Amino acid sequence: MPRLGELERSVMNVLWDAHSPLTVRDVLDGLGDRNLAYTTVMTVLDRLGTKEMVRRQRDGRAFRYAPALTRDAATSELLHAALDEAGTDRTAALVHFARSVDLAEAQALRAALDEIVARNAP
Amino acid sequence: MTPLLLGLIGVALSLPVPALLAKMTWTFRSPAAAVVLWQSLALAAILAMSGAALSTALWLVTDDELTWWRVALHLSLLAIGVLVWARFWWAAWNVWRETQSRRRRQRHLVDLLGEVDGMAPALRVLQEETPIAYCVPGRNSSRIVVSQGTISTLSATEYAAVLEHERSHVRRRHDLVLEAFTVLHRAFPKVLRTDAPLVQSQILVELLADDAARKAHGEASVAGALVALAGSPTPAGTMGLGGAAMVRMERLRDPQPGHLTSAVSAYLISAIVLVAPTVLLAIPWMTHAWMTLTT
Repeated sequence: MPRLGELERSVMNVLWDAHSPLTVRDVLDGLGDRNLAYTTVMTVLDRLGTKEMVRRQRDGRAFRYAPALTRDAATSELLHAALDEAGTDRTAALVHFARSVDLAEAQALRAALDEIVARNAP
Repeated sequence: MTPLLLGLIGVALSLPVPALLAKMTWTFRSPAAAVVLWQSLALAAILAMSGAALSTALWLVTDDELTWWRVALHLSLLAIGVLVWARFWWAAWNVWRETQSRRRRQRHLVDLLGEVDGMAPALRVLQEETPIAYCVPGRNSSRIVVSQGTISTLSATEYAAVLEHERSHVRRRHDLVLEAFTVLHRAFPKVLRTDAPLVQSQILVELLADDAARKAHGEASVAGALVALAGSPTPAGTMGLGGAAMVRMERLRDPQPGHLTSAVSAYLISAIVLVAPTVLLAIPWMTHAWMTLTT
């Protein structure tokens, strides 16, 4: 039994690879895991819905599910926040290891590194 | 006299003192103490200014016989005081809400797009060639995000140092420190604030996390990671924190980064700015006010 997080990823990948909205049964078939219960997939789709990753639309008596944004859109949204070089994120939602520097600073950093390495290697 | 002095102290602590302190480098020698110092300055500024408003308001209705304009001025000053504090809490609430929702979104995206790594449960690896390393802080839901590019750029110990650096941000709740400074920054009216405390706090928590990474993996690996991740110039040339990388490198170059004198001075100044206005100005004035009211 895969963990919930992994299952959410797999379900999302099935939806992203599909060209049209899918029913729960379609998703279950797409996952190709015999041990997975119908209700489990429904729960996962529900959770993805509350995370605003999946949209649900009524189709007759059943529901169909589609990604709320394409894989590319999701990737670019993530990277946009991750590479926020201008530092417009004044709320400090993410804490970066380092931001890029200009050429002069890069050279100064490298010189300092050489000094540290030289000191540590007698 | 008291209200004027308190007001002057408040303005001094909001503008010239932070600007002056930001130019000094001794605060970087003991980052933990420096964080306390910056917090104290901001808190003392708020206390002094609300103290100034309160004492003026009281002076208006105690020192002389009551006239309608004194009462009206008294009430409007009290109203301004209430507004200042309302603004503070409003800023706090907004910062908290915005930060939480941005982090939640990041977490959802990262969980769907990043691979789980066996090394650490909170670690997510993105299939990207650009070197990326950051953390999404959270009490029980933090994520450390790196890209495939980071892993292929760094050596094993450099990579371990980056992970330790990010883990230390998460473990020591540096996000709370940054949030506190963001709240203070937003709470101050635009004419009375500088970016210095916010920028400084961002540098200081990086220094603290570097210290943790250095302790575990040595300064050469932290410095190497810093050069590899910050030292590749981007064509756009946009910079988030000017000089932060160099300040961090200076500390890594220092064989003995702990400095007792600078730590003691920072704590001492923090205590003075917080206690002095209260003791020297407010208490004598309050006793005077109390005597006027009781006799």
